[in-house]
Amino acid sequence: MIALDDVSKRYPNGTFALRDVDLRIDAGDFLFLVGSSGAGKSTLIRLLIREEVATTGRVVVDGEDVGRMPRSRVHLLRRKVGVVFQDFKLLPRKTVAENVAFALLVTGHEGRLVREETARALSLVGLTARRDHFPGQLSGGEQQRTAIARALVNRPRILIADEPTGNLDPVTSWEIIKLLTRVCELGTTLVMATHNAEIVNALRRRVVHLDHGMVVRDEREGLYAA
Amino acid sequence: MRRVGYVLGAAGQGFWRNPVMSLASTFTVTLMLLLFSFFLTTDRGLQAAVGVLESKVEIAIFLDDDAKVSQIIALKARVEANPAVSRAEYITKDQALQRLRDVADRRKDFVIADVDSNLLPASLEIKLADPRQAKQLGDDLRAEIGGGVVADVIDNPQVVDQLLTITRVLSIGGIAILAMMLFVALFVIVNTIRIAVHARRDEIEIMQLVGASDAFVRWPFILEGMLVGALGAVFALSVVFAASGPVTGAMLDFLVTLPISLGPDFAFQLAASVLSVALLVGAGGATLSVRAHLAK
Repeated sequence: MIALDDVSKRYPNGTFALRDVDLRIDAGDFLFLVGSSGAGKSTLIRLLIREEVATTGRVVVDGEDVGRMPRSRVHLLRRKVGVVFQDFKLLPRKTVAENVAFALLVTGHEGRLVREETARALSLVGLTARRDHFPGQLSGGEQQRTAIARALVNRPRILIADEPTGNLDPVTSWEIIKLLTRVCELGTTLVMATHNAEIVNALRRRVVHLDHGMVVRDEREGLYAA
Repeated sequence: MRRVGYVLGAAGQGFWRNPVMSLASTFTVTLMLLLFSFFLTTDRGLQAAVGVLESKVEIAIFLDDDAKVSQIIALKARVEANPAVSRAEYITKDQALQRLRDVADRRKDFVIADVDSNLLPASLEIKLADPRQAKQLGDDLRAEIGGGVVADVIDNPQVVDQLLTITRVLSIGGIAILAMMLFVALFVIVNTIRIAVHARRDEIEIMQLVGASDAFVRWPFILEGMLVGALGAVFALSVVFAASGPVTGAMLDFLVTLPISLGPDFAFQLAASVLSVALLVGAGGATLSVRAHLAK
């Protein structure tokens, strides 16, 4: 599903964010990306959604060489890869349902399909009752669930979560992790960058540890620290 | 339908989200279009004036009294064959005298002393298709003086030259001023849309993340730019048409010798040109602005 072959990313100031990274992620995988701040987790995520292009090496997502993809096709890649961020990135003047429907609307869907898919995504994240609330009226966990619903509404094959529990209390964080686990069980490949050792250690999923831009550990049922 | 609704709604919201900037750029576009209208109208008026004056530009060949008809016909044919000449008219001695009488009838201070012996020569009056060739043609014909057909050549290349210089200067000056105004209007629209883009940067970021195409992101801003342009065109055309009556009257009083008035065909052309320029400038400025943002 995702393959990185000998990928390096060097920024114009000369620093390497990633160095010689080789990584295979199969369809349906649940992978934790761990490492200290500046280790290269966010850069790796940005390469997967073509917000950045690798300096050397090849990044393949769902069979497509992302680095060589013309700009005119990038939006098609992003429809296959849902993204969730630590800061939710919701539109404050739109309701929960409008925020979710927005992802369908701007990708060319209309009418009944938008209503049905929005309702399905809201039901999946348990926010049907809050559909007409604005983000400012929601708790942090509910806002993140809205963001997850928006990321899933286009039925992406891959979901990338960049520190999705970073702004949440421990109880709410577990709610979000349970939700993401369910999403993965339904067939979506999940890549999650996190600093939350408790969650990583409890789930015992695949762990890829980055340090100074290099993969220093890749374990099938790993822990947060070696 | 909802997509179209979204794009139109976003364009309208963008315009009214920052009304001061939107109205300022509309005002600038209005000024630019007023200048454009003025230039277009003046240019069209000048073209008409030049046309009238150019049609009067002539070279007169005074013919020798002893020249044979066949020689005159040959000369006329030769002159007419020149591509710079639109037509050549043969004026007999009698016609020349009749013209003089007509002039005398209109002017009380003008008296023709001796009408029995007609001293006026027959002539070929040449109207030029290309006034710039007047001097060359005059010189060529002057070389034939003394050959038994051409007695003298009267031309006025200096007037032609001056007229063409004025037209050229006005054209170049007008285009230069218009180019500057176009640049200013474009600059203001680029900045207005840049502010609109900045105000909606979060929305744009999310749109791009969830897979909206660049075209979909771009359209509301392009429409907003076109809205600014269209409003500017409406204001400018309102001013132009409100002022056209009194201004035309004043111009006709001023230019008694050139009774030129611009009709409804021109009004339609003007409106179409102004609206086209306004929409192009609006869309162009917005495209530049939003493209710069998306390329980041």
